[in-house]
Amino acid sequence: MLNRDAYLSAFERYSAQLPAAERQTRSAALRRFIDIGLPTTDLEEWKYTDFDKLAGEAVTLAEPSTQPDLAAWRLADADTHVWLNGMPQSSLSPRNAGGEAFGSSGTDIESVPIRPNAGEGGGAGDASHPGFAALNTAFARPGLQLDLAAGQTLEKPIQALLVTQPLADGEMVHLQHRIRLGENARATVLLHDLGLGDATRWLTQTLDIDLAAGAQLQLIRVQDESAGARSWFQATARLRDGARLDAVQIDFGGGIVRNDWRVALLAPGATTAVHGLFAPTGRTHVDNHTQIDHRAPHCTSREFVRGLAWERAHAVFNGKIVVHPGAQKTDSEQRIANLLLSKQAQINAKPELEIYADDVKCAHGATFGRLDLTALFYLRTRGVPEAAARALLTFSFANQILQHIAWPALRQAVTARFLARMGGGLDAGELT
Amino acid sequence: MLEIQNLHATVGDREILKGLSLTIKAGEVHAVMGPNGSGKSTLSKILAGSEDYVVTGGSVRFEGRDLLELNPEQRAAAGIFLGFQYPVEIPGVSNMVFLKAALNAQRKQRGEGEIETADFLAWVRHRVKQMSMDPAMLSRGVNEGFSGGEKKRNEILQMLVLEPNLMVLDETDSGLDIDALRIVSEGINAMRAPTRATLLVTHYQRLLDYVQPDVVHVLSGGRIVKSGGPDLARELEEKGYGWLQQAA
Repeated sequence: MLNRDAYLSAFERYSAQLPAAERQTRSAALRRFIDIGLPTTDLEEWKYTDFDKLAGEAVTLAEPSTQPDLAAWRLADADTHVWLNGMPQSSLSPRNAGGEAFGSSGTDIESVPIRPNAGEGGGAGDASHPGFAALNTAFARPGLQLDLAAGQTLEKPIQALLVTQPLADGEMVHLQHRIRLGENARATVLLHDLGLGDATRWLTQTLDIDLAAGAQLQLIRVQDESAGARSWFQATARLRDGARLDAVQIDFGGGIVRNDWRVALLAPGATTAVHGLFAPTGRTHVDNHTQIDHRAPHCTSREFVRGLAWERAHAVFNGKIVVHPGAQKTDSEQRIANLLLSKQAQINAKPELEIYADDVKCAHGATFGRLDLTALFYLRTRGVPEAAARALLTFSFANQILQHIAWPALRQAVTARFLARMGGGLDAGELT
Repeated sequence: MLEIQNLHATVGDREILKGLSLTIKAGEVHAVMGPNGSGKSTLSKILAGSEDYVVTGGSVRFEGRDLLELNPEQRAAAGIFLGFQYPVEIPGVSNMVFLKAALNAQRKQRGEGEIETADFLAWVRHRVKQMSMDPAMLSRGVNEGFSGGEKKRNEILQMLVLEPNLMVLDETDSGLDIDALRIVSEGINAMRAPTRATLLVTHYQRLLDYVQPDVVHVLSGGRIVKSGGPDLARELEEKGYGWLQQAA
């Protein structure tokens, strides 16, 4: 049962400071959220992921927190911007070179309007769940707002370091991110969720991506939340003629996590490559749903996803490819591989293809397994002790996704993080 | 160097080795030939420490130690190398990383320090050239997308880098064209030394034209049924194995 009073009183405090028009939009969203609530496992799309059981938790809006030392997380060659408990940290992120990142017109981040999320009304929209979408609209603050004019290329990659550090259980952080690339514009963006401390927290984020003709976006999302996090994330991307989206989703942490990626290929020549690596440990539950819509002819999609689960972790992946009527000459490939690293770990992975055109190429495959014993023996005959050999093979499995991160410093950092979580004494410096 | 006495081994309920005895001295090259299913591959895997087989009798001593007491990585560190009939692909781990991990793991077990990166790179590159391989292969995944012949060359490359004392090569010649066979053979010959020994497991005499053995054994029905000089290999090539199986 949803803790209505907690959400209502959090909203009352939050909305008092808002302009009237905005208050109206948000309050309508809040009412929808109260009506709809959180997703239950009765819904096919949510059958493994039970947020409803947590709906009774008390929540408050996150307060500003003392600034943690983030030096270890900053990438040297990036233009880094920090959000702490949902608030942009100007003192932590000087706006020098990155000033234009918040809009080619120099828009101040505080003045970015919040828009209702698509599909939150529960109609035929895009949201993976209208309740979450409405909750986000009610409370969201502006996250990364990147708007590049035609032909513009970002010199440095942008790192959005999205830190949660709640002071008490049940604090909420809600963000809306938006990336617009004009014709032939290019950018590389990292969204890095970082959870500090053990307190429980609710985190919702939406990311709206619009790529004009010929635009190219490399987008990497690293979800490294605390085990106390209840996290919902939804990315919605629209690609025009010849646009390209290279997306990588890496999941390390979180308590209960749901990520939805919707990529629509809207005009000929649009291309997307989606890579995913889910590596939950402990009791983490991480659920990724992706949907790639081929809505025009001559578009290409690639999706390579690997899941591995340790201890009592549970990973869910559902990858849907829809080839709409008229999307002839679609070229689509989806590969899913899973590795279970303990008897209690669980992975549910499902490919879903819907094809409504006849002249298309759609390859797909899914595998489940444990470590290859022949490969283990091979490594041991070369002198590598068993534990290290297991670690090396696990790394081998994951690295087939990690090596697609085209940004070297980030690839190294993510690899190091993976190895640290895995154990086994492997050193990222030696492996990359 | 290697002394196998009355070795019995099973896989599941089936006995594969039925009293195999074989002694190899330092400096020697031995070839083990025999028909399919005679136990050749089993012998080489057991020497490397495979857990797919259960040794039910007999003994194996390597440089005075009880080999059967050691796990595969300890055997590697002690100086045993198995060249696989079907080398394994490990995508996502580059050949360079693999070679370095292997050598350092062996050195660590032997109480030696880690090798210097710069020295190691030069050391490996030299051997890549020796095997007529493209240096770019070092940054590719281990055996990833390699042809059968490239995989076998890579086995010999690993052997040249790791410098074992006993080289057990399981059908290293299968799937090689003439040029590759020559390169692989030169690699094996380059490793021949008075302190080292080689056990070639093969179907065909062809490899033995390039790597001259001191002793040739015929393995049949899980035992050595005949041993002789290099001429025995040529005799087998002419007559096949039938006459020996009947004799056994």
